[in-house]
Amino acid sequence: MSFWTIFKREFRQYFVSPIAYLVAFAVLVLLGLSFNTDLNYRITNSLPPNGAVVLGNFGFLMVFFAPLLTMRLFAEEMREGTLELMMTMPLRDVDLVMGKFLGAWGFYTVLLSLTLVYQGILLFLTNLDPNPAPLQTYFDIGPVIAGYMGLWLYGGATIAIGMLFSALSDNQIVAGFLSMSVLLVLWAGDVAGLVPASVISTDVVLALRVISLQAHYSTSFLEGLIALQDVYFYIAIMMVSLFITTRLVESRRWR
Amino acid sequence: MIEVKKLVKRFGDFQALHEVSFKAREGEILGFLGPNGAGKTTTMRILTGYMPPTGGTATIAGHDVFNDSMAVRKQIGYLPETVPLYPDMTVQGYLEFAAELRGVPKRKQRIREVLELVGMAERSRSLIRTISKGMRQRVGLAQALIHNPTVLILDEPTIGLDPHQVSDLREFIRSLGGQHTIMFSTHILTEAEQVCDRVVIINKGQIVAEGAPNELRDALQINSRVYVRVQGHYDIAKLAKSLEGLAGVSSVEAHGDALVVTSKAKHEVRPAIANTIAQQGLALLELRPLTVTLEEIFLEYTT
Repeated sequence: MSFWTIFKREFRQYFVSPIAYLVAFAVLVLLGLSFNTDLNYRITNSLPPNGAVVLGNFGFLMVFFAPLLTMRLFAEEMREGTLELMMTMPLRDVDLVMGKFLGAWGFYTVLLSLTLVYQGILLFLTNLDPNPAPLQTYFDIGPVIAGYMGLWLYGGATIAIGMLFSALSDNQIVAGFLSMSVLLVLWAGDVAGLVPASVISTDVVLALRVISLQAHYSTSFLEGLIALQDVYFYIAIMMVSLFITTRLVESRRWR
Repeated sequence: MIEVKKLVKRFGDFQALHEVSFKAREGEILGFLGPNGAGKTTTMRILTGYMPPTGGTATIAGHDVFNDSMAVRKQIGYLPETVPLYPDMTVQGYLEFAAELRGVPKRKQRIREVLELVGMAERSRSLIRTISKGMRQRVGLAQALIHNPTVLILDEPTIGLDPHQVSDLREFIRSLGGQHTIMFSTHILTEAEQVCDRVVIINKGQIVAEGAPNELRDALQINSRVYVRVQGHYDIAKLAKSLEGLAGVSSVEAHGDALVVTSKAKHEVRPAIANTIAQQGLALLELRPLTVTLEEIFLEYTT
């Protein structure tokens, strides 16, 4: 149960770290602005409310915030010399990696649950009855529930990728910057669909879309569709990243 | 308890350890002495399972450090050279974390005991970032002792401490001998002499000497020296000349108003010196043997 000990330490660590609070603050401010703009737009144009909009924006923000949350996981331990202690404790490397990952994903879950406040506001303003009374509007809760599930899995994938880069470098800034670049590229793969078929062949576009992090939630979970292939995709990203991270940590013994 | 046989470690082209072999018996305090970069930390990192050796074997309590790493890691307490602390944790929290990873039973009680032992009981609520260097060292030591390990490996534990803390820590390590087998590295000679039962001297990745501090002195066969001081004013050159003529004396040097007589190993020249001085009608004030310091042994072996 060593990973549980590591998990507890990592999870608690977020609540004493200023970075975690700054990220939470930034997420709430930015999402608050976009939520407000979106709501205003929908009201003036008599459109139905959409709870998945904040989730889509939250997904984009994680391209920048997942690295901030994960860059210290291994880089800091290498720099402070505490990794030497961890690696000489009766603790398997895989438990160390799992504990750290779950700690970060746990904090991400807290962060994601903060956005429930916007769903609360929508629920307060609207009606869950598909045939609302006059002057009331129907709120489709299905995409919201699926959206949270998708965003939770997507977040796990971004955290796992961020942690992988943290294990690559003992410099937090380098680790954070590398994972931010990779996440941005993986996230934007979805946009490849906008390039005309005469420029890039459809096969390439489809291939890019398959590995795009965004494509696996924007057109499925956020539309209320839970497709197993998308669930598998995020789980696979997490497992591959955790495997590589474990190997990277192990490889420090051989240098 | 600790047995190292022909340990080799290579980092790329650089060979850090050349067939290093030594042993530490149960309950012994073994000093691992050498200049910076001699391979002390590398050896300790191999023993603790942090890195594998390139060649050779090392066992701790009968377990191979590489093939049976988990069993070894359970047996040892390790304090690396840079004390591995989490600045954002409290002393108590840090020790709880270490105790939990070690699977220590009755954690709260054991943490209290260890904090008493290292004299940090009043600071258990402090954040590690706020405590002094000496206290950090003691917290690191508490971490290494938390599971009452059979073997304790301490990498330069007194580095960066003030003289008062250094002598406290040496005394503390001394008091742990007997219950734990301790391997303790240092580049300070007096420290090894004060604390250790046995000393292994390492230089450029090779063991150059091994034994109890006094055995090393004998083994070196450095000529014994006698310090001679005579009362009042006298002709120092004349006395030196007559002392040089004594049987067994190899050289005489003047040090201010005193003389240092070097004689061949195990040749007792003091009665003859006293006689000569008396015959010349001078009053002998001081006649004492100068012991060879570990410092000299060390320099002899490492240069």
